[in-house]
Amino acid sequence: MKKAKNKVKIKTGRIDVVFLVLVLSLLTVGLVMLFSASYAYAYYYYKDSFYFISKQLVFAVVGVTAMFVLAFFDYHHFQKLALPIMGVTVFLLVLVRILPTRVGDFHRWIRIGSFSVQPSEIAKFAVVVLFAQILSKNYSKIKTFKYGILPFVIILGLLSFLMLLQPHVSGVILIMLIGAVVMLVGGVDVKWFVFAGVGALILIGGALLIPGAFDYARSRLEFWFDPWSDPQGAGFQTIQSLYAIGSGGLLGVGIGNSRQKYLYLPEVQNDFVFAIVGEELGFIGATLIIVMFALLIWRGFVIAARAKDRFGMLLAVGLTAQVGIQAFLNIAVVTNTIPNTGISLPFFSYGGTSLMMLLGQMGIVLSVSRQSTLLKE
Amino acid sequence: MAKAPTNKMRLRMLVLLLLFTIGVGGILVFRLFQLQLTEEGKENQRRAVDQQMSAITIPASRGQIMDTNGKTLAVSATVWNVIVDPSNVRDGEAEIISEGLSQILGVDKETIRKKCLKENSQHEFIKKRIEKPVYDQIINFITQYNINAIHMKEDTKRYYPYGSLASTVIGFVNSENIGGTGIESQYNKVLSGTPGMVVSAKTALNTDMPFRYQQMYEAQNGNSLVLTIDETIQHFLEKHLETAVMEHNIKNRAVGIVMDVNTGAILAMSTKPDFDPNNYLEITDPAAVERLNEVAIRTGGTDNDEYLEAKSNEQNLQWRNKAISDPYEPGSVFKIVTASAALDHGDVGLENYFDCYGSFEVAGEKIGCWKTAGHGNQSFGEAIKHSCNPAFIQIGQRLGGDAFFDYFEAFGLTEGTDIDLPGEAGNKGLYYEKDMLVGHPVELASCSFGQSNKVTPIQMITAVCAAVNGGNLVTPYVVKQVVDDSGSVVESHEPQVRRQVISQETSETMCELLEHVVSDSDGSGRNCYIAGYRIAGKTGTSQKLDQKPTEDGQVAQEEHILSFVGIAPADDPQIAVLVILDTPEISNVLGSTIAAPVVKYIMEDTLPYLGIEPKYTAEELENLDVTAPNIMGKSVEDAKALAAEKELTIKFVGSGDKVLKQVPTPSTPIPRDATIIAYTDNEVKPEMVEVPDVFGLGTSLVNQAITNAGLNLRLTGGKGYASVASRQSPAAGTQVEVGTVVTVELTATDVE
Repeated sequence: MKKAKNKVKIKTGRIDVVFLVLVLSLLTVGLVMLFSASYAYAYYYYKDSFYFISKQLVFAVVGVTAMFVLAFFDYHHFQKLALPIMGVTVFLLVLVRILPTRVGDFHRWIRIGSFSVQPSEIAKFAVVVLFAQILSKNYSKIKTFKYGILPFVIILGLLSFLMLLQPHVSGVILIMLIGAVVMLVGGVDVKWFVFAGVGALILIGGALLIPGAFDYARSRLEFWFDPWSDPQGAGFQTIQSLYAIGSGGLLGVGIGNSRQKYLYLPEVQNDFVFAIVGEELGFIGATLIIVMFALLIWRGFVIAARAKDRFGMLLAVGLTAQVGIQAFLNIAVVTNTIPNTGISLPFFSYGGTSLMMLLGQMGIVLSVSRQSTLLKE
Repeated sequence: MAKAPTNKMRLRMLVLLLLFTIGVGGILVFRLFQLQLTEEGKENQRRAVDQQMSAITIPASRGQIMDTNGKTLAVSATVWNVIVDPSNVRDGEAEIISEGLSQILGVDKETIRKKCLKENSQHEFIKKRIEKPVYDQIINFITQYNINAIHMKEDTKRYYPYGSLASTVIGFVNSENIGGTGIESQYNKVLSGTPGMVVSAKTALNTDMPFRYQQMYEAQNGNSLVLTIDETIQHFLEKHLETAVMEHNIKNRAVGIVMDVNTGAILAMSTKPDFDPNNYLEITDPAAVERLNEVAIRTGGTDNDEYLEAKSNEQNLQWRNKAISDPYEPGSVFKIVTASAALDHGDVGLENYFDCYGSFEVAGEKIGCWKTAGHGNQSFGEAIKHSCNPAFIQIGQRLGGDAFFDYFEAFGLTEGTDIDLPGEAGNKGLYYEKDMLVGHPVELASCSFGQSNKVTPIQMITAVCAAVNGGNLVTPYVVKQVVDDSGSVVESHEPQVRRQVISQETSETMCELLEHVVSDSDGSGRNCYIAGYRIAGKTGTSQKLDQKPTEDGQVAQEEHILSFVGIAPADDPQIAVLVILDTPEISNVLGSTIAAPVVKYIMEDTLPYLGIEPKYTAEELENLDVTAPNIMGKSVEDAKALAAEKELTIKFVGSGDKVLKQVPTPSTPIPRDATIIAYTDNEVKPEMVEVPDVFGLGTSLVNQAITNAGLNLRLTGGKGYASVASRQSPAAGTQVEVGTVVTVELTATDVE
């Protein structure tokens, strides 16, 4: 009874409309661009121009529903769910490696009926929730080694190990970065980040200096610097992406008018949808989309800053940062600013698990916004 | 109760926010700027367009080449290349394809089968340039067996309906459809036009994109050319030139040019032997084929370097237009220039006389006349008529080296004529400059009568035209008009006068003097005399001075270039004909007299064709041939009367009273003193006799031989002194009926 009474007392306000509008805007633009980018590919390979967009629309509807449900679901329930979610994640990561389902040489998906689930997607969410929980609980002991760094290293280490078995390097990079953002805001000593950064540089540098080892990574770097050294092979996708972006110019060729999507640019419906954005909407359109992502980060962080408690804040920061990191890494790849890694563009790229998870997580951020500190006044 | 976020947390968050939005976001916007708004972006866009656009060329058809009357001399037609795409050959289809194509195309079946089965190929040529009927056969074959693997790619082929006619002028088109020599090369751009293009957007699978992007650039067909060359005159020229090459065994090819003296239009131009542009790689000259065979035997095959080089040399030789490419020593033809110059400069006049004692001494050097006995005392006109070297040395001396060179230059003999044909050689370094003539009497002397200086045939005839057309040096040309696809004239060539070289008066005098060369009974050019026409002309013989001794150190047999230039009509010059015979066999009795008759034959055909009617003098009329009257079926009395009408003798054979057969047959040209044999019954068969060989005999011996054989003699050609029979028809040894007319041509041999 007391508990119930307490619960009633929790002041809840309206969800953050700005954030909601930004999410729905990005989703709308993303769906339109996915359709534009994918219909030629879908037509030529699936004999159905709507092959991707029809599925993605279903995911979007489910996702938006999940978003609203979660927006009105008290996020504090995740404090208790944090560890079970991580447990399920680890189980799925082990399972995915054992199951025979593979795409190419990768064990990344678990098929359930006609849909497939990517455990790596769930891992990102699990990291944010568990880290937020640990950090908000141990904030006072954050300077100690035992509470301030060890748990995170163990969790990230375990997840990374399991994901490298798939293998899924880009997934590892993402959980590392997302985890780091939550840890940093959660108060973890800056020195650990410096150690980790320096350590990573030494490791990577050293690895690349060993002759004969890590040839795959080295050649990736080479094709990053000069995609034209192998225009028909390793450099092909990057070159086609740059052709698309270059063709856009200032104003773009107009929505629907991309030529590069006619089977020139591989993975046009996935990781490289932004190249078609650049071609069809030009510099102005592409910049606007970057700005929209930046606004989303800003608004997510504003929600975090106004969060009622540290758990809510870290949850909002982690989930928002995840979108920002993924979006910017994807655009960086498409513009050949960083070497090619498989990271999809939130709201734009085709993919059921990731879109539904994404929208659900946006719902949690909205949930945090409902319990703002501003309501105290 | 959970604790609220601390300010430290908020601060760290703000740092992250700025890092994300301003930092990373800024970098990405900057990258977009680099990739979309700089030269790098434009370059990528160009490359993208390159891969997205596929262009199909639409060939432009090559223009025709027509003669002055619109007869087609060169025309292009569509042909097809037959290609097999092995990647599209279905299982078991190779057999059907190779069997079918081999039957239609005559290509070895096994070769086709191998090509059909070739791996990793989509493009195997089976046969190039097949024509429409064969194309239709293949289409039928493809349809019948529903074959996808045979493609036919359009191409064009050049046809020359008149074969080798004017081949050194027209040239040929090579396998890449580019003009190789002659007009085809000179006017290649005009003739070939601009190919068009269809540009369309393609997917990476090379299928059309759903939206239409197509841009068409129409092909601009090539323009056609109307030449100044007249197919008929060209035919006359080549016929007689070819005969001369055969008769006199000419070693170094013969050249003939027929030119409009007033406009510079080339009516005909030929070098013999030449080639067939339909088959331009094939060697046509039997002598050249013989030479190549020798190389093949010596080197043991036809695929060694030496043979291939020899073949290539022979090809280049037969393509070479000697008329514009090969400088030669013009010999006495050049005296026209010396004479015109001296007359125009006022150094000599018709009243001047020059002595010739068979040779002339210049600066201690004795220079001989071709007539070793000497021409004695002769007027300026007679000096030309006699083609007397000592007289021309004196004329040259009067003119002086300075003026000589000025006129030489003015007559265009130090520069190319600028004719619109490729490969005009000009004669740089092959003539004496002014400083080599002034103060050098021996050089001036030899130049005065046409030795030492070399000019090209086209330079020579152009200079001659200037001497007789009123003094104008014209630019010779072969293309009269450029006509577009629809037949309208795009460009017209206007005759160009470069300059007046000598006065109108001098020119008229020259015409008169040169007419005497041909018309007088002691003229050196009387072998070019044609009854009814006033012809002016000049002979030329030059010994090749740059002849090298043979390998064993002996001086080779003397080689000569014989030439003649004729101009007609002498009172109103219209055409000039230059014939040059390079290195003929002149060991027989005819000697160096053989060029003038060739010009005569050409003129005899050409002047009536050009509508220039003969005008006979009283004397000519008297000697004119008559035609045999038709007395067939007539009574003896009537036949006698008809013969008497033409003052002809008639002889009856048989006992009937009606003429059943006559020799010569009605309408045959016969001389006025001919005898007609009339047969009046069928009992008496006409007596057959053998035509005697009269070659090289003098007039009276010819007369005797023919008359004794019971035949009628018809004499043509250079009458007058010292003439011998040079040609006869029918040939010696032929069995003919008594009374048949034997035509014997006389050539004067006491000339240069």
